[in-house]
Amino acid sequence: MLASHKWLTELAGFSLDSETLAQKLTSAGLEVESVTRHGEGLEPVVVAEVCQIRPHPQRDKLRLVEVFDGQQRSEVVCGAPNVPEPGGRVVLAQLGASLPGGITIAERKLAGVVSCGMLCSESELGIGSDQDGIVVLQDIDARPGTPIADALDLRDVVYEIGLTPNRPDCLGHLGLARDLCAIEGKSFAPPAVPAPGRLLSAPTDQFPQGDAVFKLSNLWSGNCASDGEAVGFAPVRVDIRDPSRCLRYGAALVSGVAIAPSPFATRYRLHVLGHRAINNVVDATNLILLGFGHPIHAFDYDRLEGSRIEVRLAQSGEKMTTLDGEPRSLSEDDLLICDGGRPVALAGVMGGGNSEIHDGTERVLIECAYFDPRSIRRTSKRTGLHTDSSHRFERGVDPAAVPAVLAHSASLVARCAGGQLIEQGLDVNPTPVSRAKVGLRLGRVETLLGLGLEAGEVKRILTALGCELSERPDGFDVLCPTHRPDMVREVDLIEELARVHGYEHIPTAVPSVRPSQRGTSPEVLMVRQLRERAAAAGLQESVNFAFVAPSELMDARLPTEAAVLANPMSEERSVLRTGLLAGLAANLRLAQRHQLQRFAQFEVGRVFLPQAGQDLPHEAYELGVMVWGQRALWYDERDTMDFFDLKGVLEATLRPLVGSHVTTVPEPELNGSAPYLHPKRCAALRLGQETLGHLGELHPDVVDALELTGRPLYGLVRIPDLVRLVEDSASPQASDLPRFPASIRDVSVVVDEGVQAGEVASQLSQAGGALVTEVRLFDIYRGKPVPAGSKSLAFHVVYRDPMSTLTDKAVDKVHTKVTRAAEQYFGASVRK
Amino acid sequence: MSEADTADVVTAFEQGLAEAAEGYAAAFGRATDEHALRAQNARLLGPAGSLTKLLKRMSQLPADRRREFGKRANELKRAIDVAFEERLSELARAEREAELSGPMLDVSLPGFGRLPGRVHLLSRVKHELLDLFATMGFDVADGPEVELHENNFDKLGFPPDHPATDMQDTFFMKGPPGSDPRATLLRTHTSTVQVREMLRRKPPLAVVSAGHVYRRDDDATHSPMFMQLEGFMVDRGVSFAHLKGVLTHFLRRLFGDDVPVRFRPSYFPFVEPGGEVDVGCGICQRWKRPDAGACRVCKGSGWIEILGCGMIHPVVFEQVGYDPETNTGFAFGMGIDRVAMMRYGVGDVGLLYSNDARFLTQF
Repeated sequence: MLASHKWLTELAGFSLDSETLAQKLTSAGLEVESVTRHGEGLEPVVVAEVCQIRPHPQRDKLRLVEVFDGQQRSEVVCGAPNVPEPGGRVVLAQLGASLPGGITIAERKLAGVVSCGMLCSESELGIGSDQDGIVVLQDIDARPGTPIADALDLRDVVYEIGLTPNRPDCLGHLGLARDLCAIEGKSFAPPAVPAPGRLLSAPTDQFPQGDAVFKLSNLWSGNCASDGEAVGFAPVRVDIRDPSRCLRYGAALVSGVAIAPSPFATRYRLHVLGHRAINNVVDATNLILLGFGHPIHAFDYDRLEGSRIEVRLAQSGEKMTTLDGEPRSLSEDDLLICDGGRPVALAGVMGGGNSEIHDGTERVLIECAYFDPRSIRRTSKRTGLHTDSSHRFERGVDPAAVPAVLAHSASLVARCAGGQLIEQGLDVNPTPVSRAKVGLRLGRVETLLGLGLEAGEVKRILTALGCELSERPDGFDVLCPTHRPDMVREVDLIEELARVHGYEHIPTAVPSVRPSQRGTSPEVLMVRQLRERAAAAGLQESVNFAFVAPSELMDARLPTEAAVLANPMSEERSVLRTGLLAGLAANLRLAQRHQLQRFAQFEVGRVFLPQAGQDLPHEAYELGVMVWGQRALWYDERDTMDFFDLKGVLEATLRPLVGSHVTTVPEPELNGSAPYLHPKRCAALRLGQETLGHLGELHPDVVDALELTGRPLYGLVRIPDLVRLVEDSASPQASDLPRFPASIRDVSVVVDEGVQAGEVASQLSQAGGALVTEVRLFDIYRGKPVPAGSKSLAFHVVYRDPMSTLTDKAVDKVHTKVTRAAEQYFGASVRK
Repeated sequence: MSEADTADVVTAFEQGLAEAAEGYAAAFGRATDEHALRAQNARLLGPAGSLTKLLKRMSQLPADRRREFGKRANELKRAIDVAFEERLSELARAEREAELSGPMLDVSLPGFGRLPGRVHLLSRVKHELLDLFATMGFDVADGPEVELHENNFDKLGFPPDHPATDMQDTFFMKGPPGSDPRATLLRTHTSTVQVREMLRRKPPLAVVSAGHVYRRDDDATHSPMFMQLEGFMVDRGVSFAHLKGVLTHFLRRLFGDDVPVRFRPSYFPFVEPGGEVDVGCGICQRWKRPDAGACRVCKGSGWIEILGCGMIHPVVFEQVGYDPETNTGFAFGMGIDRVAMMRYGVGDVGLLYSNDARFLTQF
């Protein structure tokens, strides 16, 4: 909503400087988002009188105009077709002037002749949209040399107000002025309807709807003599077929208008408020819209068939062309204004092309109505037509204001376009809107705000906003105004009190502290710890969109049965991810395109798995880790990360959280549950006997499908499982420190390539029994004399007796058992 | 043993002792490192050393000379040991001196070990905000991102077909054929957690929650997925003054003790009175410097909008089965992205979700 400082001041009846006013509006919830000052910076632009016009020596289209600026004469070169005869007044931008378009005026040669200034058009001055010719000042008494801002009264400040949708009353200057008065503690009087210049009356008994007829003249101030009876006038009949959608419909007629451009002051006001001037009738309707916040519509009465207005729902597939020239196909949910035979307007949204005002219009029918906000909103959404009118109707205009706004409108059209107003208007009101009655307890005000307000202050504020109050023991009974559809409950009134009194005047208090009842949920805690651990382990956290393309899921071999968006912004973001791999793969692809040499990212996020028979998908947190490329070793760039880098990172991440070792074990089922992993380079991630997730190289086919290169590694941890395991596991208990020395013996075992070292170690440990405290791999050897297809694994076996120092003999005895076991279980040849 | 033999032994001892006594000092002096020194020492005192061998023949000496030779040999041995130790520490000293006065280590070489990992900007800010509320006694809760229409809108008092829903352009989920096309959606705000927690628990409660929310918007200041924080407190006698107290405290902890905080009225369907909170712009700090010039961040207003808040609307209490007469409460919500962008000077919200390693590693 754009609001003019000048207009607000006229309506409010007092003036504030613009900075104070903006600040007052903002602190009352009418946030001023920007302020534009008009008519400034035009100081070296003045009124000038044309003295003499000569042809340009070289160019037919240019003329040399000698002008007097109050002090001296100068000659300017001008190409405009409408330079007035000598004695006419024009607008001269003098040397040094800078115009809104960024032009600075300097002496300039135009086809060989020096021009000392420029005669300006409205558009060049930024004061209107006319660019066909220069501004010619008629009807304005201004001496040459008068700054143009004074001559045309250009100075105004326009506020851009970010209105919240609950405040339709402030979509017009009148409502803003009313609020301003309430804030400042001033009384507000709505403007009187000025009498039109000329008036015709029509015999009331000729109206088909006698009870809906009312005399517009009853609403205006001052007298206006009637010019006589309207001739050739067929009284309009208004039929409302759907009174739940069109609750009130008023109509008035102005006859004998002459369509012409509006005077400059009108056009300028519309211009600063962001509207294009069209003609005197349309401009008048826009002034009403901006003034009262109530959209009205003007029909060319002579283009309506049958002197009839019918308000009804469209039939499915019914068509009409709106005045923007677009053909519209309508639905049964769209409300129409029709004449005797066809739709002439899409109610509350836009008029029809078939009945709009044109240059030859002589009689104007003015509509002022109240429509159901929800109906207008649905039509506006469906047609994509968001207009000044629909914007106001869907937020709720004042139904009680229909007669007054109609009287204002008719009077203004008659005054602007020079017609005669028919004294009788119609006000068809099948569904009266009653004022909300609300009880307000002063005690409740204090409870809710933490601030006690005096009854007098409460009464003053609410009355200023248009409420009527009657006292009762604990407070007031309040009759709320119809221009405030947001006031229906006690709390709505309390909000108004807080708002107008000022939030800054409410005290600041600290609530009595209650200890947190639950603290942080274990899952939230775990997610956070994982995040910090993973970062400490050298991984960069990423945050990917939850929506991905279906093809990404397919390429990553993630479950393709996904939750689908009904209205995605694009196909690329149309389903919810079923795994984190898709996003991390996209990030890696980006890094590879940027020719980065290594990549190590993780994400802790949710995946979404649809559940049969459930409205909502199952959402579970996962930790996804992707690493690829060079190790962080600067001295060997060919050294790339492999399975064990990922394993190390996962261990470093999980170990501090789970308190014991996670293990990686081969698991044949992984081929099915994690088909994106390399079948021979993958493992389940276990804590004890429980599987937490998996890790491995990406399957080479998946690497290709995802358009990646090299051997990326991906690991996944299911966080709910991790939370459960950590919650179930007791804290580790302290054990005594060893008091006796350990003995270490080595053993080398030659086994087939397929044998896992971990398996060997655990067998060695078991064979050794209680004396073995650790079996630690320290070397893997391939090559002679180890036969091809085999490897030699070398272990340190650590023996310790907690109760005594072991003798060599005792160690020898048990170590022999260990080596035998190796031979026995693995068919291993033991290298001694 | 013959006398001649005895005489030989005596001579051998005399000679052996003399040779050893004569040569060791020079030999030790010639050794320029520990290894050479130990070799020299071993030639005398090692298992096959000349002095060791000689001492093994002690029993062959005539009884009356044993004592004398034993004493002399031991004295010599001690002298050699002392000389050895001295030379050893001399060499060690020299080596240390050489190192201490030698060339500087190239300390500019890269360190070994792990990649530099980082927690995402958004997570960092999120945790910081949650922590501030947790220290004030708020529980931290979580809720789903795919939600029911009723939890996202209806239970929060959004009227159907009301322009208020325009403030939050919604992604809807496809349901099974024939189902209500608006029944499920991606939550447009974290206020859904407010509904869920109130349905699940009874007052008094103070809860805060943060997470992703979704709106159909995509430009330099709007991402279709972004992050919000939501908090609320419900109890008997919670008032707007408490709302101001808690949020002012929070904002001062976040932005500094001297930052001005401004509450002004605004509208959200689920609170009333509703408001927005501005803090003084940290870039131009107009509250300290009233003549600060143009500011790109606050556009010269001196204020940055940071929070939406208000007293929980009685409609919401009715929807979750709380008595709106006995219970009052406040709620607030804020954009985490916005705080992250302000703090780290990020101009385009899209960067926060770009996952471009070149961006992420800047922080």
